[in-house]
Amino acid sequence: MEKLDNPKILVFSTEKISDPAIDMAGLLKKHYPATVYTVNVPCSSAVKPKWILHAFDKGFDGVFIAADGTDCSYSDTCSEKTSEIVKTTHEIMREKNIDPARLKMAAICSVCAEAFVKHMKSFHSHLLEAKGN
Amino acid sequence: MSKSEEYDVLVIGGGISGVEASLNLANQGHKVLVVEKDLSVGGKMIHLSKVFPTLDCSACITTPKVSEAARHSNITIYTYSQVNDIDKKAEHDFRASITKFPRYVDEESCTGCQVCEDKCPVVVQDQYQYDLVGRKAAYVPFSIANPRIAAIDIENCSLCGACERACPADCIDFTQEKQDIEIKVKSVIVATGFKLFDPTLIPRYGFGLFKNVVTSMQMERQLVPTRPFNNVLRPKDGKMPDNIAYVLCAGSRDETVGNPICSQVCCMYSIKQAQLLLGALPMADVTIYYLNIRSFGKGFNEFYQQAKDMGVTFVKGKIGKVEELEGGDLKLRYEDIEQGVVKEANHDMVVLSVGILANDGVTSLFKQNLELDQFNYVNQKDLLANPAQTNIGGVYVAGTASGPMDIPDSILSAGAASSETAGYLRGGNHEK
Amino acid sequence: MKNKIGVYVCMCGSNISDYVDVEKVKAEAEKIGGVLLSKTTMFACADSTQQEIANDIKDQELDAIVVASCSPKLHLHTFRNVAIRAGLNPYNYVQVNIREQGSWAHSDNPAQATEKAIKLVQAGIERVKHSKELSTVKIPSENSVAVVGAGIAGMRSALELAEMGTEVHLIEREHFVGGRTSQWNVLFTTNETGQEVISRLYNQIISHPKITLYTGTNIISKKGSVGDFNLTLKVNPRYIKPECKLDKKKFQEAIDLCPIEVDDKFNFNITKRKAIYKNYDSEFPEMPAIDYEACNKCGECAKLCDEIDLNQQPEEKLINVGSVLLSTGFNPYEPPKGEFGYEDIDNVITLQQFKRLIELNGGKLIYNNKEIKNIAYIYCVGSRQVDGENKYCSRYCCTSAIHTAILVKEKYPNINNFHFNRGIRTYGKQEVLYNKASEQGDIFLQSFEDAPTQVEKVGNETIVKIKDILTANEELEVSADLVVLVTGMVPRENADLVNILKVPIGRDKFFNEIHPKLRPVETVIDGVLISGACQAPLNITESVKSSLSAASKVNSLVSSGEIELEPTMAVVHNDKCTWCDKCTNACPYDAISVTKVNDKEVALVAKSLCKGCGMCLPVCPENAIDLIGYTDIEMESMIEALID
Repeated sequence: MEKLDNPKILVFSTEKISDPAIDMAGLLKKHYPATVYTVNVPCSSAVKPKWILHAFDKGFDGVFIAADGTDCSYSDTCSEKTSEIVKTTHEIMREKNIDPARLKMAAICSVCAEAFVKHMKSFHSHLLEAKGN
Repeated sequence: MSKSEEYDVLVIGGGISGVEASLNLANQGHKVLVVEKDLSVGGKMIHLSKVFPTLDCSACITTPKVSEAARHSNITIYTYSQVNDIDKKAEHDFRASITKFPRYVDEESCTGCQVCEDKCPVVVQDQYQYDLVGRKAAYVPFSIANPRIAAIDIENCSLCGACERACPADCIDFTQEKQDIEIKVKSVIVATGFKLFDPTLIPRYGFGLFKNVVTSMQMERQLVPTRPFNNVLRPKDGKMPDNIAYVLCAGSRDETVGNPICSQVCCMYSIKQAQLLLGALPMADVTIYYLNIRSFGKGFNEFYQQAKDMGVTFVKGKIGKVEELEGGDLKLRYEDIEQGVVKEANHDMVVLSVGILANDGVTSLFKQNLELDQFNYVNQKDLLANPAQTNIGGVYVAGTASGPMDIPDSILSAGAASSETAGYLRGGNHEK
Repeated sequence: MKNKIGVYVCMCGSNISDYVDVEKVKAEAEKIGGVLLSKTTMFACADSTQQEIANDIKDQELDAIVVASCSPKLHLHTFRNVAIRAGLNPYNYVQVNIREQGSWAHSDNPAQATEKAIKLVQAGIERVKHSKELSTVKIPSENSVAVVGAGIAGMRSALELAEMGTEVHLIEREHFVGGRTSQWNVLFTTNETGQEVISRLYNQIISHPKITLYTGTNIISKKGSVGDFNLTLKVNPRYIKPECKLDKKKFQEAIDLCPIEVDDKFNFNITKRKAIYKNYDSEFPEMPAIDYEACNKCGECAKLCDEIDLNQQPEEKLINVGSVLLSTGFNPYEPPKGEFGYEDIDNVITLQQFKRLIELNGGKLIYNNKEIKNIAYIYCVGSRQVDGENKYCSRYCCTSAIHTAILVKEKYPNINNFHFNRGIRTYGKQEVLYNKASEQGDIFLQSFEDAPTQVEKVGNETIVKIKDILTANEELEVSADLVVLVTGMVPRENADLVNILKVPIGRDKFFNEIHPKLRPVETVIDGVLISGACQAPLNITESVKSSLSAASKVNSLVSSGEIELEPTMAVVHNDKCTWCDKCTNACPYDAISVTKVNDKEVALVAKSLCKGCGMCLPVCPENAIDLIGYTDIEMESMIEALID
């Protein structure tokens, strides 16, 4: 029963920027739902829509891209490119009748532990509400 | 038996500063010999629980560095060894004599299986647990020691031979003798660390008289994962304490014990221990009696604030006297500075936040007489531009051998020492 | 696929095992196909465990290992090295983070923390099953470094790096070197002046063949990455002909002639200077400079002095370096108008202004035409703020203020020092100063943050009031002739630099290191290091130690002429690629071009240019590109393992 009620979130974090923030959240014992699983990639602009869709297909309730934003060390076009990935995926989600609100993205800087925890809590409760319906 | 060896740098002391400096130099291609007087490298740091202000576990930071040094092809480590004397013949030419003491265990073949420890009938106080518990006379010093091999404490050994018979690797050898080694090096780094203040020198604190008065290092050991008991217990009756007092500046900022300076780490380690205690004993109260809280480093003041937010009580007060009550609780008489009155408070355990002092015997190692400062730390001749330089060209100082400092500062100090040493090795006798 | 996998679940003392049932994690891992052995361990990183893992790899012929412990940021390389020592390819190793993202993050819920750890380990096992044997990519590196900021930290590391054989470009934004140190007179503990220390460093720097000094220079753009940074510098002219000889007398005449007066930043605006200026006589480089923004281009100085050339233009210079070391230092905190009467009451100044004032004053200590007798020092201004953003302690100010109070008392024995503090932090040996100040009769008064010291103008008097906890909370006041705000440190304005180099900033707004003990002078940006007070408040000795540490790290990084990079790179599947050039456009490094394979046009990734960001992946309409280490099979099998 709990499994059904407790939404699972897949987070794509980035090795140099958002993953350190997520680590810091743990270090400071700032709690967030334990059904948040993080998989890291070098840069948030490297996330393939295919992977996101695979996550939904396999049963994740939500996918969150913890983006590099303007802190990206690879390119200043990162924000734009990650947004483009989200946009493309949202379109496919609509076609497949998946609620686009299940894919979120926000820039998480390397010390944004607090922001990450906030995002996780609100995304989790949003997904929980959506599941309740 | 005597042999002779050559290296680029002799590092005296295998604590975190010595190890850090050795790694830096070895990574730049220099051959380094580390001489450590203890049975294991890792110094004081390897015995700590978690470290401020990140609360990383200390072992997680020390052991990989120590392990990297132990395996580095440019680093040789002699544990349980001492440097007897060093003579500078010329620039880039130092001669030193070293004695390697016998462990009575063959270092190459011991696997650290601890069978000898199991069989040994002699129990003595365990210095690595700061005398909180016992250990055997045949023993592996501690679980994360490096090298993790046994030694026979010959002073306490009854020579019963049980270990010798039991050892599956047949590596116990009571015929081992001390070994003298002559070495030639181009440069020397002094990383001899510090010693802890002996609180029996302040009798009014009751250490040694009242069992529930402990030192901060004894408390530290109770908070370590490899701790002697599986919980924090007060020594007298094994009760879990629920009202713990910290007495700061025990042996620091105190002319009467000959140490007028601040030890730089006690405020922070006490605040850290207080936070860990609140985690380990959720119902406990922790009170810190202080003169000034010195949370000056990166993230330190925030860490102090965090302790206050967690409920640690801070009292600006001078401790007059500690008395034992029936049942082992302790009464503290103190001057409450804020209110300007003398007060009393009862606690069931008192932790003395002991300060750090210069280690003895460093200066006499050098034939050229290494200069000390007024507090017996190695004198930094050019503090502003060459902080590792001593009065002897080619001899540098790293870490707490030059004064009290915390781990991040020690690591930077070791970095400076290795950098200045590398400059000396390449360039010659330059001064900046 | 790997099928002899070893799994090690670390307790991290008790950091993990207090919240995560490691035995259960180990048991669950054991059940997964391909796992040959699964163990728990007290400290995976301990030498004996490392040896045990290495022995297992050899004895059991493991073809892959997973260590579930702390963040890979700490110990990825520790275990990769274990693999290497045991003859296993280091990329057949996966580290799973069950501490920062497991036990610690979910210490409120051990059951769920355990559940999560099990899933994370399963995902790690799936990932390692598909791992390939890889080798690092070696790229050539310039044995050179750009040291940014020629204060004490930058100058000192520049010198040591040059001694170690690294080519140094020392880049200073101002026209003169020395940074903050040159603004301080007599220093604790050696009694040398800041200007003397700077002079001896400068003389060695300028004569060192491996150091090029750029003054008046900013970095305006960066290309490339570790081993091969291409920096564009903008060198602003000092409007003095470079080849000219210094004629001190003539320059002084030119300075006297200049009609422009502006606030003298060097003296923290307590004096004025001309548009053509030197901050102090023995300043380096020796030539004066013209403050072009202040200058009205009247040309009077140029008429007098042939050496002056107001037509000089800024130049751009390109430099190629293997590494960048930032030592950009600090600014004193600037109190807003009204904080403790600053800029409202005429005799309220900052500690930094006060230090300049003492140096500039003669036989009597005079400020605003008034002789000073009572000085009130107010501590922790801009530090340890209750409401403001600066929660940190600025570390140097207690000692600096007390040292200054001692110097001022020595120079002017009749003055009285009153220290309104929040707990004096003269740590370590600096304690002797605190004792000395007390002995010379200085009065120390203390309050807590909830009852800050107050400064008010009452008639002609400036009254400083405190509820002093050292005298049982009695309300005490002093009529001060001068109020000195002991202002802390804030980072320099570095927005441009941060933007160009992407250096991470901490909660305190200073540059952030990777780890204060493991990698204290490195940042997450490969090849960009930090040292001195740009990282955190530090005094001079501490800054120099940090800069020498950084010098050692920079030298180890670039001096071999080769840097090893991760093999994470994009690969094109030629069978799928239809060459649409979308990937070329997405690549920020121009690493992708077109080539012909069997008469078919396909994309080609240049190994020396690809940085492994993966930006080309999602844009490919044919899904023809994979990133090594992040292939579809690896990512998707991990995702599946997390949801099972």
